[in-house]
Amino acid sequence: MNEADFKELKKGGMMRQREAGLFSVRLHVVGGRLATGQLQAICDAADRFGRGTVHLTSRQGVEIPFVPAESLAALKSFLARYGVRVGVCGPTVRTVTACQGCAVCPSGVIDSPALAERLDREFYGKALPHKFKIGISGCVNNCMKAEENDIGIKGWIEPQWSPAACTACGICEAVCPTKVVRIAEGDSAVAVDLSGCIGCGDCITACPTGAMGEGIRGQRICVGGKFGRRPVLGTWILGVLRTPDEVLAAVRAAVAFFREHGRPKERFGDTLQRVGLSALEGKFKERTGLDT
Amino acid sequence: MIPDLDITGDVCPMTFVKVKIALTTIAPWGKLAVLVKEEALKNVVSSLHSEGHRVTGVARRESAFLIEVEKRGAAG
Repeated sequence: MNEADFKELKKGGMMRQREAGLFSVRLHVVGGRLATGQLQAICDAADRFGRGTVHLTSRQGVEIPFVPAESLAALKSFLARYGVRVGVCGPTVRTVTACQGCAVCPSGVIDSPALAERLDREFYGKALPHKFKIGISGCVNNCMKAEENDIGIKGWIEPQWSPAACTACGICEAVCPTKVVRIAEGDSAVAVDLSGCIGCGDCITACPTGAMGEGIRGQRICVGGKFGRRPVLGTWILGVLRTPDEVLAAVRAAVAFFREHGRPKERFGDTLQRVGLSALEGKFKERTGLDT
Repeated sequence: MIPDLDITGDVCPMTFVKVKIALTTIAPWGKLAVLVKEEALKNVVSSLHSEGHRVTGVARRESAFLIEVEKRGAAG
């Protein structure tokens, strides 16, 4: 096998191990969710083709290590019978990670696994200038570490104050973790500086009268984050997106932008630094019609 | 308003546990004044809401809040 063959295998999720002739086989997992039948098939496959162990990766993936080169095809077709596909590596869109979201988690704002499925269907494995990671946190508690991804998504609640029921009691001001909710001096108006709002909704939860309500329940996205040797947190971009469709449109625009401007071996964040974030904002506007 | 209950020295979940116990000692629609520190406000108020009680008054007391709770009606 030559280098080019190894590269092709790696793109297809089969990574050469330190020991010649052995591969660690990456599996396709979406949002960290596997059916029990799939899990059983993975166990059987690890016993039959590997050495009876699996590795749980840092981004919700599963790998079966110690698979000999000559077993790769058999492993692949065995797993396919149980609805388990082999994953990807190399310069492609990688595993879309997600928390359990609002269907399970009491803190969840959005249905992160459903959004992960949609993003996976459209983008998983697509070739790009470099690896490209998408992660979804269902709320601002951010279990999925959105800012570490090339595109991070977070469930977000934008508060809206209405004067009718407000008694200016001050609870919203007291509970706001970033102190952007303020009762104006001398009168009973409440002002929210949305530029510093982190979308937690605590002011809404704590309001005794319902005067502080949900303006938008949606999601925000950040771009250009990564971990690795030189970790960089992503930059928040666009306002609060109201629907999964808007998120899809934004990701589509970002991927198109990276395909157009990215250089080989250059992460999305580095492309943005070189080309400028405003160029991406222009792309967003052109492709989505959303305000930046 | 003088507090019937001071939970400023407690942490979650004892904050709300103490409020619940105190509410068992009063009649439906009765009022209970509770002194709550800022950190506990969100959880105490949202727990009261989810159990059907109402917060009918709020006053600042230095770094704490004195909240007036109306116990939910018997049917509620």
